[in-house]
This record gives sequence, structure tokens and C-alpha cells, in this order.
Amino acid sequence: MNKSVVSRRLVLSSVLAAASLAGFALPVTLSAQSKALHKTPDGKPDFTGFFHWPEAKNGMHGKGSATVFDRKYFAPFKPGGEAFLEPRTGDPRHDEPRDFCMPAGFPGGFLSAYPVQMFQTKDYVVMMNEFQRITRVVPLDGRPHRTGLEPTYYGDPVGHWEGNTLVVDTTGFKRWNLDDYFYTDPKEFRMHSDAFHTVERLTWRDDNTVDYQITIDDPKIFTRPWSQDFEMTLRPDWEKQGLLEYECEENNRCTGGHCEGNK
Amino acid sequence: MKKLHSLGLFCAGLMIGSLPLLAHHSFTAEFDDQQPVKLTGTVTKVEWQNPHIWFYVDVKGDDGKVTNWGFSGGAPGQLFRRGITKASIQVGMQVNVEGFRSKDGSHNANGARVTFPDGRQVFTAGSEDRVPEKK
Repeated sequence: MNKSVVSRRLVLSSVLAAASLAGFALPVTLSAQSKALHKTPDGKPDFTGFFHWPEAKNGMHGKGSATVFDRKYFAPFKPGGEAFLEPRTGDPRHDEPRDFCMPAGFPGGFLSAYPVQMFQTKDYVVMMNEFQRITRVVPLDGRPHRTGLEPTYYGDPVGHWEGNTLVVDTTGFKRWNLDDYFYTDPKEFRMHSDAFHTVERLTWRDDNTVDYQITIDDPKIFTRPWSQDFEMTLRPDWEKQGLLEYECEENNRCTGGHCEGNK
Repeated sequence: MKKLHSLGLFCAGLMIGSLPLLAHHSFTAEFDDQQPVKLTGTVTKVEWQNPHIWFYVDVKGDDGKVTNWGFSGGAPGQLFRRGITKASIQVGMQVNVEGFRSKDGSHNANGARVTFPDGRQVFTAGSEDRVPEKK
């Protein structure tokens, strides 16, 4: 090794040591790693990975572990608007559709207490929740919503970038349940209307956490849109197993208040 | 009936509160939290399938009559991440099962807590399922 290399190394070592003693952070190497993490080759944020399902930052959720919306964020209800708290009719297919393995819907299903996997390419991000293997395929090219579609349980999502934030705009919903709050209070079966519109904003807060904000916009029910912030924690420990299968109809023995395990 | 010695008890599973749990159904629609059950018997059948596992237990009553009870638990995937697999509950095993009876009065219940003769316990509840208080 020649003398100039040795002396440069000695100088560098001295500088580093002095900086450490002075309490200066040396972020060069770390920030290089952080910048490389969660970025696509063309520099966009990359949401590929396994995540904990969205949870409220204050940890609040319903009686179980599924995430539900906190009433304190609701906008005022529109007078004369469609009923938000769906009354029971006595028909189990109406009152407990999930008993019959009907779709969990959005956003309720995406907030289900099961692992989430997101998979991103240049053109799409696919967002999956293991529960009912809910799968949303979101184009990333800023295209408009499709027209002429029949309303669906999960709507028509389209994505675009706003700086480092992925924005997913979803319309085209059929009237269905908003979240699983009825597990906490069976009288409060929260329904959104067919005018339902959601906007999700996903941003990497740090190497392990995605800020996930969802805006609820339902002009038949609420006087204005309202939002709640959640977070999704990266779970690399779930990657090896992957998402497990969930076929609701496989052995569904409890429907409409009757369990048929035994007579 | 084998006595379960409290000193020998330890939790093989994780506590309910820290677990990701979700059932596709509503506990309150199907089970009655005013009718707790605690039954001991021999496992006769296991259905380790979605949306809820089921396991069946022959329970001998005080009159000597044997009744088969069905117990519903969480989804296999959730239990798997809790370290509970179909090897955990097998035909022929002696179990004590705690939960709440089905509202329709049938011999079914949610099977929330399973205790084995050696004191091991597994929490097999699905989400939103009530778990009887430990006594």
C-alpha cells in the first residue's frame, strides 16, 4: 500500500474520530442505505412488501383487533341523507352478510386483522389483505376512472403520484358496509352509500412505517369529506410464509345465527 | 375427569389482546356470552379449515350420557401465526374447552381456551369471540 493511500486513510480516520467525539452524526452511509430502500429503479417510492394491516396511530380499534374508524373524525351527517347505521331487518342475509361469506368490502376488508401484501411494478400496485384474499389492482399512470361499469364491492381504484406520496382514488362502489364496527356494537352496522368515494395517501414515514391516510367522501351521508390517519408497519417476518389461503366457503358452519357444527 | 392443577398451568399460546384476530362472523349473532361453557372430554374430529376451525369433543355428563359438542375457533392462518397448528388438537386428545354456547341451543360453542391435562393451554378463539374469565 503506498504512502499517500495510508496518509489519506489516517486523515479520514482522524476526522471520523473527531466527529464522533464532537457528537456529530455521520449519516452518509446510513442515508445512502435509507435512500436505496423502498425505491424503484426510476426513483419512485416502492411499497412492495408485507405489512401489518392499517392501524390507528393512537392504537384505538374496535373490541377485536380489526381497525375501525373513530367517530370523532366523522363529518356531520347530512340531514335527510341515507341511513348510515343500517337497521336490522331480521333477514340474516341482510343483517349479517359476512356470515354468508359475502365480501368484506372496502375499506373495511382492507382494515381486517390479517397480513397485507403489496406488490408494485412500474405500472401497477397490487394491494392484498389475506382476509378473503382481498385484492386491489391499482394503475399508477394517473388514468381516469373507468366508465360504464356496474358498481362493485371494492370500487374502481386509480393511482397517481404526488411527490413521494401514492394517491389512490376509488369510486364506483355499490352500497355496502364501511367497516366492522358492528363487532363492537351490533346496533352500529355502518353502511356507505353508492356515492361513496375514497382517497388513500401512502407515504413512507421511515424505513419501517408507511403513513396511510384515508379520506371518506360520501355526499349522501356526510356534509363534507373527512379523514383518519393510520400507519402500516413493515413485517418482513411474514414474508417467508407469505399470505395464507382464506376460502370463506370452505367450511362455513355458522350462518345467520345458527351454527351447524353439531345439532 | 382429570383435575387440572393450577400450579402446573402455563400458557402455550399468546394472550388474546396481543393477537391479530378477526372472524368473518359476529360473535354476538351466534354465541351467547351469558352462557359460558367449560367442558372436558375426548376429541373425536377436527376440521382445520377456513373460515373457522372446528373440533368436536365427546363429553360425558354426570348421568354418564355422552354428548358430542362442536367448538368453533379462529381461522387456520391466524392460529398458525400464533403457533397453533392442527397438530395442537388431535383426535383422541383429552381437552378441557372454555367458551360460550351457541344461541340456538345446539351442542355447539365457540372454543376460546383449550387446556390439556398437563396444564398447557392454547387460545383458539377467533376474533371478537368472547373468552370466559379465568377462574
